[in-house]
Amino acid sequence: MTSRSLGQFYPVASPVHALDPRAKIVATAVVVVGLFLIDSTVGLLFVAAALVALVAASRIPAGTFLRLLRPVLFIVALTVLIQVLFSREGATLVEWGIFEVHSGGLRLGFFLALRILLLVSSAGLLTATTAPVALADGIEDLLSPLKRVRFPAHEVAMMMTIALRFIPTLGEEAEKIKGAQAARGADFSEGGPLRRARSLVPVLVPLTVGAFRRADELAEAMESRGYRGGEGRTRFRELHFRKQDALALSITMLVLLVGILL
Amino acid sequence: MELELKDVSHIYAPGTPFEVEALRGVSLVVEPGEVLGIVGGTGSGKSTLVKQMNLLLTPTSGEVLVDGLDARSLKKSELRRRVGLVFQFPESALFASTVEEDVAFAPRQLALHEEEVRERVRESLRVLGAEELATRSPFALSGGERRRTAIAGVLAMKPEVLILDEPRAGLDPATRQELLALILGLREAGISVVLVSHDLDEVAEVADRVCALHEGRVRAVGTPAEVFYRDPAHAPATVRVASLLKGSRPGIGAPVRFKETLETLRALRGV
Amino acid sequence: MENPGEGTRPGGSFAVSCENVSFSYPGSERPALSGVSFGLRPGEYVGVVGPNGGGKSTLVRLLNGLLRPDSGRVRVVGRDPAADPFEVREHLGILFQNPDNGLVAPFVEDDVAFGLENLGVARQEMRDKVARAIRAVGLEGYERREPDTLSGGEKQRVALAGILATEPEILVLDEPTSMLDTAGRREVLRYLKALRPEKTVLHVTHHLEELTDADRILVLNGGDLIADETPERFLSDADLLRENRLVLPVVPRLALGLGLPPTRLNTPEELAEAILAGAESGTRT
Repeated sequence: MTSRSLGQFYPVASPVHALDPRAKIVATAVVVVGLFLIDSTVGLLFVAAALVALVAASRIPAGTFLRLLRPVLFIVALTVLIQVLFSREGATLVEWGIFEVHSGGLRLGFFLALRILLLVSSAGLLTATTAPVALADGIEDLLSPLKRVRFPAHEVAMMMTIALRFIPTLGEEAEKIKGAQAARGADFSEGGPLRRARSLVPVLVPLTVGAFRRADELAEAMESRGYRGGEGRTRFRELHFRKQDALALSITMLVLLVGILL
Repeated sequence: MELELKDVSHIYAPGTPFEVEALRGVSLVVEPGEVLGIVGGTGSGKSTLVKQMNLLLTPTSGEVLVDGLDARSLKKSELRRRVGLVFQFPESALFASTVEEDVAFAPRQLALHEEEVRERVRESLRVLGAEELATRSPFALSGGERRRTAIAGVLAMKPEVLILDEPRAGLDPATRQELLALILGLREAGISVVLVSHDLDEVAEVADRVCALHEGRVRAVGTPAEVFYRDPAHAPATVRVASLLKGSRPGIGAPVRFKETLETLRALRGV
Repeated sequence: MENPGEGTRPGGSFAVSCENVSFSYPGSERPALSGVSFGLRPGEYVGVVGPNGGGKSTLVRLLNGLLRPDSGRVRVVGRDPAADPFEVREHLGILFQNPDNGLVAPFVEDDVAFGLENLGVARQEMRDKVARAIRAVGLEGYERREPDTLSGGEKQRVALAGILATEPEILVLDEPTSMLDTAGRREVLRYLKALRPEKTVLHVTHHLEELTDADRILVLNGGDLIADETPERFLSDADLLRENRLVLPVVPRLALGLGLPPTRLNTPEELAEAILAGAESGTRT
């Protein structure tokens, strides 16, 4: 696993991938808020159509994208089921013992399901088209005005990049420690949940201690290279906010507006 | 115990874009009571190879045989008790509050009586020269002490074969010498040692046989002299010196260990 | 050896000097360093050896202000690292032992730029310096690689590039190859060797074969500076080696056993030549 695979980033060249991460983050936020302001199914369907067009433009294979939605299918199904079984609005369609299915329930169930799917899809599209490092840079930039109110924007960004850098390393370390304990007879698959949790102690303890040790050494190395926080620091990576980004943002807001009005 | 790998291949992440063929048809025997050195550059498959020996990784094809029986027919815990594996930088897996608690982990997993566990812990620490560390926290020890604790932890299972993957990496010269003596001591005690190492000089000193891997295949296997003199450019320093002198001194023979090389060279200069 | 206290002002004759420096870790019974004095002249290549726990790592950290001495004076380019750490760190870079824990960024070129970012260097200048540093360690083409895809030797080279990018005159190497395999060690040493003419180097190591070209070798044991010798004198002193638990590599050890000078004979080729030459001229010991 590399940091590239985190958040299901799908590396391919597309106009969506090339957009400035700040534009994409703000656009996603706009979509999330907008989705809760839309109260008609037609409005949601309009946004859904726009989203489908966007996924197509991102050159991410449909299959790969749909796989992103798999974790939420259970919640979606549950939501629909609850609405269908317990809503009493609209005409009665089916009666089965104490359960009644009304047309209102179906409609509301569909509406809520669609909204959940759109929420997850927008977030998924963001992480699929934006490399983790670019995301971190985007978040740092967007948070930097908060520095004026003493919000540690630089430190947060630094923590994110260091985390991204070390996730694969720690992952390998965890695998190695698991292997070493398995070689000493540890069994991680036996027993009920409590037993299994306890069997992870010989992995979690050394992993955590090791991580602290790493952090110490990393801090020494960073200090030795002149690190002293965000003041006076320049940045090697650059973000360019261009016309396309402004356009993309505007279009997003427009689509949401239409959806709300529909 | 005789541990045999028969035509073992191992592919990582098969069927994905990350597929890697780490081992290709490796056949190898670990004889009882020998020190077998496994050498080869990065990517040769050394670490993958030894993980097949205790089935931490299963061969994609081929078999692992323990005294003629398919290793897969044995209980995993039984196999790993008899074939002990010490990883590279094993001290990163220390976790207990005291050294003796950590070393006791493996014997306890074997469900031995507490008395037996304590005895094994004492014995293992003694063999590693680490008795005074028993009640200390493994996190407060020096690198060499932690390494010793980790090895003791595997030795406490009383394995018949002990696999050491780069056991001396990152240690200071004196501790390195002590570990070399330990390996010879283990062999005296009847334990087979599989020594994976990039340090050819160290392998030259202790190995009874050597297996050289290259890109997942066995390039050569045999006595150290047989394997190293075949390719003197990638051999321990002793072999390289002797090979260079072979041209003008054909009777030089094939010394590998330091002592015999020095004696051979001394005799040469006496001529 | 002249008093290193002299000439520690900027432009003085020592790039690095320690005068009677002592340091104990809090809660420790024994001092990590006691009364250590030595000087490093500009352009010198000095090795530091000794058993683990003898004070080598402590010394390294005193030189750039990560630690502050309990007593004595440390001066780097005339400055006190404890008082002016950031000033000193522009002139003295440290390459640490663990190849993983020195890399902070998700991509190679970003990591190499880290030190320059800290100094507030403008972006265009950063790009040039990063490119140059990456070339200096032979890693062209690796710019967008991620650290976990690199070998140990490659990681250390990235770390080295990161230090070279800010162009310090003094390099301190803290066992830079001890966690690497033979190939990695060879790679890193090759690029370190190429830097010798332009830098002042302090090289802490267990591998004596890395110090055969050193100007001097310091021995730290139990916190004391036991010796400050040329490699010739040092490698021929069996007692000194034994007392400090140091082991000669195979070739010099063979040479010693044959009565040949250990320092000039480091490779099998050199030893073989010397043996043949000696045998031909009929020399015996």
